[in-house]
Amino acid sequence: MEDLTSPLHEIRGASCAADMSDDVLLRQFANGDAAAARELTDRLAPRCLSVAMRMLGNRAEAEDVTQDAMMRLWQMAPNWVSGQAKVSTWLYRVTLNLCVDVQRKKRPDRLDDVPEPEDGDLSAAERLQDAARKDALQAALSQLPDRQRQAVILRHIEELPNPEIAGIMGVSTEAVESLTARGKRALAAILAGRQDELGYEDG
Amino acid sequence: MNWGTKMAENDMELDQLFAQARQTRPELPDDLSVRILTDAEAVRLDRLKPAAPPRSVWARILDGIGGWQSMSGLVAASAAGVWIGVSAPDFLPDPATIIYPQETSFVVADLGLDTTFLEDAE
Repeated sequence: MEDLTSPLHEIRGASCAADMSDDVLLRQFANGDAAAARELTDRLAPRCLSVAMRMLGNRAEAEDVTQDAMMRLWQMAPNWVSGQAKVSTWLYRVTLNLCVDVQRKKRPDRLDDVPEPEDGDLSAAERLQDAARKDALQAALSQLPDRQRQAVILRHIEELPNPEIAGIMGVSTEAVESLTARGKRALAAILAGRQDELGYEDG
Repeated sequence: MNWGTKMAENDMELDQLFAQARQTRPELPDDLSVRILTDAEAVRLDRLKPAAPPRSVWARILDGIGGWQSMSGLVAASAAGVWIGVSAPDFLPDPATIIYPQETSFVVADLGLDTTFLEDAE
């Protein structure tokens, strides 16, 4: 059995796969090319993880959702029709749907147990304040309605263009603009209530 | 501070938080990468597997009667039947005498009658 995770495989796969589109790589994977899976994972899985982390605020759940979303990508590969949509658009949509499923299953009080990766070169006090700010964003995000949260995360953290967000969410571009605007206003209002805790007056 | 200025400040702070969030997007941990690629490999190998060959008539009949285990039971029962037929225990009637009744001449001899007239006739 060919071991996809070996360094040798990495070297062989890296030479050509990096130049190909997601579409072509997915077709190659469907035709039995193991190297294509590594390149697709390197490109797409971090995006799934980032969105899932922001949607769920929980690392372990976000990692499970990422694995699950990628599994669906592997299984879907033979049925993929090139040119109809971007692979990443499809994968973002699957990821968001899986996040909604996870949220439905879990209790509301687990929404904001959110450990964030910490920066190495900050003082202890700065780290605390930084963590409080990040938690504040996560806590505020978790108070938004699902659709607003999805739109805000895709627009302002993933930095996707509105038409692509519209494709992912299955709504019009105008609807995306409206969702992000309302989401941002709601976030600002939630954070305004916590301004003193976050130490912005000093910075 | 008026409301408009306050909202503008909040927006700036929000943008600052978004910028911070973008800088701290999580990297894909190695163990998750391995889990994902292991899944991919399983799916890929599964797809490369040749389709199962069509099953023979004999195999389908065997399946119909319950596979090899039922077949061995059937064979054992048949063998026991044959053995009882060939070498019946004493307490059972001899099946041969039931199916083929004894010939008349033996019956007459058994009765102890004089059969010399039969020999004379020859």
